[in-house]
Amino acid sequence: MRRLLLVTGLLVLLTPAFGTTLATPQAGGRVVHEDALTRKELAIARTLRCTVCQNESVADSKAGIAKDMRALIRKQLRAGKSREQIVAYFVSRYGDYILLKPPFDAIGTVVWVLPLFLLVVLALSGWLVIRRHSHAPVPPAPKLTEEDLARVRAARQQD
Amino acid sequence: MSPNGLSFNLIELGHFAAILAFVLACLQGLAPIAARLLRRPELARLTGNLAVAVFVLTSIGGATIVYSFLTNNFSVLVVASHSNTHLPLFYKAAALWGGHKGSLFLWVWILTFFTMLVAFDGHSRYPERLPVILAVQGWLIAGFYGLTLFLSNPFLRLFPVPAQGVDLNPLLQDPGMVMHPPMLYMGYVGFSVPFAFAMAALITRWKSELWIGIIRRWALIAWGFLTLGIVLGAWWSYYVLGWGGYWAWDPVENASFMPWLVGTALIHSITVQERRRMLHTWNIFLVITTFSLSLLGTFLVRSGVLSSVHAFAVDPGQGAYILGFMTVVLAVSFGIFLVRGRYQEAEETVTSPLSRESLFVWNNVIFTTAAGCVLLGTLYPLAVDALNGSRITVGPPYFNTVMMPIFFIMLLLMAVGPLVPWRKANLSRLRVRLLVPVIMGLVGAVSMAVFAWPVYWTGLVAVGLVSFVFGTLVVDLVRAVRQRHQQLISENVVTATWRTVLGNRRHYGGMIVHLGILMIAVGVVGTGLFRLEKSVVMAPGDVVQIGGERLRFDGVRSFRKENYVALQGKLTSLDHGFVLRPERRNYEDQQMPTTNASVNSDPLRDVYAVIGGAVPGKNGIMRYVVQVYINPLVEFLWLGGLTMIFGIGVTLSHRVGRVAHAAATDAVSAYAK
Repeated sequence: MRRLLLVTGLLVLLTPAFGTTLATPQAGGRVVHEDALTRKELAIARTLRCTVCQNESVADSKAGIAKDMRALIRKQLRAGKSREQIVAYFVSRYGDYILLKPPFDAIGTVVWVLPLFLLVVLALSGWLVIRRHSHAPVPPAPKLTEEDLARVRAARQQD
Repeated sequence: MSPNGLSFNLIELGHFAAILAFVLACLQGLAPIAARLLRRPELARLTGNLAVAVFVLTSIGGATIVYSFLTNNFSVLVVASHSNTHLPLFYKAAALWGGHKGSLFLWVWILTFFTMLVAFDGHSRYPERLPVILAVQGWLIAGFYGLTLFLSNPFLRLFPVPAQGVDLNPLLQDPGMVMHPPMLYMGYVGFSVPFAFAMAALITRWKSELWIGIIRRWALIAWGFLTLGIVLGAWWSYYVLGWGGYWAWDPVENASFMPWLVGTALIHSITVQERRRMLHTWNIFLVITTFSLSLLGTFLVRSGVLSSVHAFAVDPGQGAYILGFMTVVLAVSFGIFLVRGRYQEAEETVTSPLSRESLFVWNNVIFTTAAGCVLLGTLYPLAVDALNGSRITVGPPYFNTVMMPIFFIMLLLMAVGPLVPWRKANLSRLRVRLLVPVIMGLVGAVSMAVFAWPVYWTGLVAVGLVSFVFGTLVVDLVRAVRQRHQQLISENVVTATWRTVLGNRRHYGGMIVHLGILMIAVGVVGTGLFRLEKSVVMAPGDVVQIGGERLRFDGVRSFRKENYVALQGKLTSLDHGFVLRPERRNYEDQQMPTTNASVNSDPLRDVYAVIGGAVPGKNGIMRYVVQVYINPLVEFLWLGGLTMIFGIGVTLSHRVGRVAHAAATDAVSAYAK
């Protein structure tokens, strides 16, 4: 029971115990809030590749072009475009290269299906190995030489 | 002669020593062949002496480069391009691996060091196979030395001598980065030892039961260093890159992760062979694959074929050389494996589908699948580009999606495996053992659903699994301690626990490693599910609220340090009183800005702040972009990493008694006379 309580306690700690409401700060000025569009902007920026960077998303990159792209996302969000429309806009300009998650088209599907294929093949071979060993005949007892037999006889006589 | 003049001479001495080492490494590779052809077996014994000589000469070379860094000898090209007089001393010493040439040299240096250790270790324990092992190592050393000396020579001079050098890449000026490459290389290079053993075994038909126990230790050591290197890399990424995360599925991160995954499969399947005499061909395959992936990692980083934060700009000749070298190593090693792989007849071992060894087989299935997926994701864009000309990107969202179910299966196997006995498990007994962990897992998942609703299903599964694994670890230990306690009633529980663990260090070391993995899983789940993030524009006096934390922005100040100017913001927590000072630095010699996050950590959460660009306000007050994050449970990642290293240490301390020590000292004295 104690262990159970301990685990429950641990899991409570795992959950965000944040988010309680707070009154206005006693020792500070005005509370600034995040721009309403920032979350949406970053969520889109996270799925796009910064074209001049080395493997960074538009959201994480500090390059100038990433900043411009984020501004562009924001502009389109303000214009009321949906996430899909904005992503489609970038794909039309840069091609699939811009997407950090390859799409399900002729080329992209391969990279999504192969892991599953790999898992199936390897699991099958693993299963075959286990099966071979579980069905293997019990190995024959090693043949005893005359010498061994003599020793056994001697041991028996001592009994 | 001035000290500067002296070091001019020294670097040339180092260059000469390195060339000599290259020649001797070639001889080391040739000696056993010569011994065979000329029928003079005593020639083969030279390999041991050569291995020591190669290491000593390489060390002389390395020492002269480090000395050149310390004395600001800008007539040496690598010093002029990776160091200057303003660089703090600590980073000067580490600047050796700050650039492409120096880090390749470090690779070779570590390789010669490991080779020498093998020479000492094998002198008395496996003298008749040692020459072949050392010859394989010799060829590897020669291959890498060839690259170092002919295409990326760190001993090259620069005339006329510049008055000042280019600074070290500012991103590398961090303690985490100083330790990250050497640890990673120790891991990569460490796997060359099992590789050399496997090659020697295939060539000389060495019965694998005789050497698998020896390479187990080497593989564990290499794996431990690789783990440490990866964790340090993540730590550096978290604190220095200032993007709030620690793992980006960058091609180079993947390159270190692949050998780690296959290495993990290897250290488990070695145990199966030791205990049950199964899988010896498969083990040889894993050994070769692990080292090949280490080579691939080096190739990917060094050749510049992949764009990555780690890539160094290099000329195509080096890429071609490494690719050629890798092709030769792969072709030769897999060729020999295909021809000779079945040199040892498989012994028919009977085993049940529900047994420890069967679960180890599943472990191998899932870990090789994982490595295959990472390999696929990393190389697929290259392949598509080469075959089709079209460019695609396989980025973090892909890896997160594909790897998550794989990680779940790994956790599940990690939980159940240690509770299942060898040969054949008794199903009803196993059910009893799993009862408590299953309840713990369910409680975990349910409390997650209650406390953190709404939550995506992966969150429930992850928390449930983590609690389940923790339960199995506890049950495993409690069962053993109880058994001991029943037999030795005089002992109290603490002593009994202590002695249980010490009495079976190999097993409990492994369990400690599992506990470390579990802690890392807690960290990954915590940051993955409960991370909070806000990006705001603040004027001095403004307050930002994130989670339960209110942070007041107190403005900025500028200052100058040894080799950079910094703009430092100040954020004060109104609830807990701590102060965060995120910086933006500009390293003047490189004109390169960096973002240095400021973090307040406690065991349960990090408050992480980054300061961005200035935005002019309405009434002339400068406002600044401030990003704040709450990263829950991040500390578990680093703690988990340390726990894993500790566990490896415990496992390795098993049976390193007097005997091994005596043998080693004998070998040392024999060589050092």
